[in-house]
Amino acid sequence: MDVTEEKTTSGAVWERLRKSWFPPAAVMGAFAAFIAAAFRIRPEPKPPAAPPDPAIEAGPAIDDGMAARRLDRAYALSSVLGGAASAHPFRQSLAGIAVGAGDAVYALGDNEVRVFDAGGNFVRSWKAASNACCIAAAPDGRICLGAAERVEIYDAAGKHVGGFTAGEKDRPADITAIKILGKEILVADASARIIRRYDATGRPLGLIGTENKTGKFILPNKSLDIAVDARGVIRATDTGRHQVTAWALDGTLMGKFGKFGMADPADFVGCCNPVNLAITPDGKVVTAEKMVARVKVYEPDGRLLGLIGPENFDPACIHIHLAVDAGGRILAADPVRREIRIFARVPGAGPAIGMRDSVDRSLVEILRA
Amino acid sequence: MNDKSTRRQFLDRTGRIIGFTAIGSAAGLLARRASGNAVYQVDPFKCTSCDLCRTSCVLSLSAVKAVNDFEKCGYCMLCPAYMDVNSRPDEKGIPAGKVCPQDALKRRVVGAVDQDDPNNNYYEYVVDETRCDGCGKCVKACKPPAGNGSLRLEIRYTRCVECNECAIQIACPDRAIVSVPAPGMAPMESPVEGKKS
Repeated sequence: MDVTEEKTTSGAVWERLRKSWFPPAAVMGAFAAFIAAAFRIRPEPKPPAAPPDPAIEAGPAIDDGMAARRLDRAYALSSVLGGAASAHPFRQSLAGIAVGAGDAVYALGDNEVRVFDAGGNFVRSWKAASNACCIAAAPDGRICLGAAERVEIYDAAGKHVGGFTAGEKDRPADITAIKILGKEILVADASARIIRRYDATGRPLGLIGTENKTGKFILPNKSLDIAVDARGVIRATDTGRHQVTAWALDGTLMGKFGKFGMADPADFVGCCNPVNLAITPDGKVVTAEKMVARVKVYEPDGRLLGLIGPENFDPACIHIHLAVDAGGRILAADPVRREIRIFARVPGAGPAIGMRDSVDRSLVEILRA
Repeated sequence: MNDKSTRRQFLDRTGRIIGFTAIGSAAGLLARRASGNAVYQVDPFKCTSCDLCRTSCVLSLSAVKAVNDFEKCGYCMLCPAYMDVNSRPDEKGIPAGKVCPQDALKRRVVGAVDQDDPNNNYYEYVVDETRCDGCGKCVKACKPPAGNGSLRLEIRYTRCVECNECAIQIACPDRAIVSVPAPGMAPMESPVEGKKS
């Protein structure tokens, strides 16, 4: 078969096809387009999505009585110190805060101590040890910093006036919190899992936290925080037991509250909470938790009064450093966002926060993530 | 012919010697590198515990295993990697569910034991590698802020069959499987009987 013959054959086939079914197909296509336009045929709707798993939707087991429960105290964000937008942002770290005389705020971060007045205005700063991780302020203006096993003492102007090494010779302390109580300095030693009492020269005066069944705190997260109320009662976090404990200065255990729980907001979540602690002037206990980064306010007997929800903090926080000023404002330092958020009680507010709305929903979202 | 070499001949000979030495050294270096062992390992900083280590490995039971770093571990009573903290609590208020679907994370009390109150005890968590399939659920649950981040995934060389192209490395969306040089490490006799068909 030569080329000319092949071309002729294929041309004939093509011509036959064109004549046989092209015209009817074109007519049918036009008719279908007309019908579609006339009746607006749309794609078949998708079947409705499967209903969400009720177990996931409901989140952790929530007592029905809990959903109706309301808190007695409401707090609202009043100001932010040291944030990215401020004139004195913390660029690298924010390791601790304390409130001193005249409600001055002492913030430890970026290897220095920064002082703000009660209105949030920057006053001064001075250099601190690079490994300083906690700060305490005394009513007389003294400032103490904890850095590994060392306690460094400064006067109100930031002049270094003393210091000492905490712990035993063969086992130095791992200081995670300091508080000043009169002439004594209380040091939270996460290595020995006890609170050590010292005078200003570093002379040991005693131990706190040994009078329980294990003779020590249980600290899986290797962190111990302490706070002292106006009566001199020492509160300490016992994170492994999910408790806040109360101690007399002589080491007598005075009380405790708290337990593990993922459903009741009054309980403490996760492996080891609460991680941080502060006391209000009227004796209320303020706690901070990780995993669900939130701050709660309790009566001294453990009744939950108020809650500052996780929407206020970075979810990656493993600490929220706390302090309370004379007016009862709660200062919460978020070390991930490196800002100090100040929460004031809303005057005249009625019942504060609905549990299901602001607590459990956040908890469910976090657990899902 | 003159016995003494000319300057040109001397330079020529010296140049040849230097050239051959350089080429020989480079060849030796390349040959050593080619024969040196490189092994696959999980970069814990990139790993997101996505479960692909379990499903992508050519072995029926993945060569990737969870490992607990006891230096970092908090020895928690309520370990979020061991217990499903979201599960219903038992009569003591402790979550009854477990995170590991293979029940490969085992725990035992260490130190002084308080039989009455488990809150007073410390627990050591050990991975049973005969059960662990490398799903990474425990690793994910242990990550901060929930845990101390002591659990991580590792490729076990006693199981790895050292494929030319690691199937997990190809599948890993986070590029967390890296090839690291392991000089002096002899190739393993691979347990090929466990290979997927």
